[in-house]
Amino acid sequence: MANLMSVGTAIFNILVYPGFLFLGVLSLVYEYADRIIYARLQNRVGPPWYQPVADLIKLLTKETVIPSEANNRLFRSIPTFAFAATAASFLYIPVWNNRSLLPFDGDLIVVMYFLTIPTLTFFLAGWYSSSLFAEIGGIRAMMQLFAYEVPFYMSLLGPAALAGTWSISGVSQFYREHPLLILINIPSLAVAIFSAQGKLERVPFDAPDAETEVVGGTFTEYSGRFLAMFRMMLGAEMVVVAALIAAVFSPFFIGGNAALGLFLFLIKVLAVVFLLALMRAALARFRLDQMVSFCWKVLTPVSLAQILLDLIIKGAL
Amino acid sequence: MQIINKVMAWARRKSPWIIHFNSGACNACDIEVLASLTPRYDIERFGIQLKGSPRHADVLICSGPVTMQQRDRIITIYEQMTEPKFVVAVGTCACSAGVFEGCYCVEGGIDTAIPVDMYVPGCPARPEAIIDGVVKLLNTIK
Repeated sequence: MANLMSVGTAIFNILVYPGFLFLGVLSLVYEYADRIIYARLQNRVGPPWYQPVADLIKLLTKETVIPSEANNRLFRSIPTFAFAATAASFLYIPVWNNRSLLPFDGDLIVVMYFLTIPTLTFFLAGWYSSSLFAEIGGIRAMMQLFAYEVPFYMSLLGPAALAGTWSISGVSQFYREHPLLILINIPSLAVAIFSAQGKLERVPFDAPDAETEVVGGTFTEYSGRFLAMFRMMLGAEMVVVAALIAAVFSPFFIGGNAALGLFLFLIKVLAVVFLLALMRAALARFRLDQMVSFCWKVLTPVSLAQILLDLIIKGAL
Repeated sequence: MQIINKVMAWARRKSPWIIHFNSGACNACDIEVLASLTPRYDIERFGIQLKGSPRHADVLICSGPVTMQQRDRIITIYEQMTEPKFVVAVGTCACSAGVFEGCYCVEGGIDTAIPVDMYVPGCPARPEAIIDGVVKLLNTIK
């Protein structure tokens, strides 16, 4: 009986919460939030509220073309891998209280590894499409990976070093108990927001799918339901990254009341998405070499200094 | 089944992604197409987005008469798009070859190469006219 219960719980976790349904709905909601904020910042009306749903249904019902040059099996399976990695990383991020579904010491590192997999699948998707534009897009995605990944990791390691734990739930618990210490981590927050733009391949770091240069980038040959899967995955990745940044950098967690906790979670993720949309509206695209040198010469030293400061303060406490 | 068809038609009406192709225009209509994509006209109200790849797009917006050079290319682009797909001819030249009618290198309007769903005349067609044409085309999807 207990065995049956655990199987039931696992299926519920995969399909409803925090798996496909919960993450899918969140990704649609925040895709809309991102687009409407972007539109309002450009002083225009913006899309109606059902726009992401309409896009999704349209793509699901469109014809799906697989190029004869492409590797059929990999071309079909890569979007699923990308979504699975993103959904798996959401298991370790706290939602309505300061405890995630499966917390253990070291899940911060595991989430970072899971979030690297989508970028690798972008490269593979571009490579196995056997289209010139897709291959260039894939190589650009890979090159960006080497630039933003190090500052992104280190910007999250600074707060974790101060908290003295490698668990996301532990970090958010620590900052709930010492809310003023969060002010020390503000430079790290800036680095995390900047490098998250590179991870999500959004403006100013959207060279891999710049439509004026490389047609559709990695996704040039993707159409129909596989493109819909990739778009869902990009929305889900934005939610996961925003929730990760919110969990590590904000002290406002309320345990006990689930509804209030969920509301606060939605507000926090919305705040991070607002910052991401603000940057998308305010900045232009960086050239690839400018992006790499900015990440290595500005963001990495700042996050290194942050780790040093956090360690000194931890020694003084 | 009827409900599914209705939802599908609704989604197609509400989310047309366009791709823009110059089949030999003098560039005036292209500038007007680009102008209609700017925040001033805000076509994202209708869910319209500009896409780079023909695989992603639903509506092919063509400007200019079909020249002999561009004929094969416009057919390739059209065949790369996935079903269901629509074509809008923007400008007098795209509708009927206009002043280039009978020119030694011009085949004719867009409909000599690929089937056209909506004609938007004008020299060049104004952004308001282009948006009106695309929205009227969308309302024919049942």
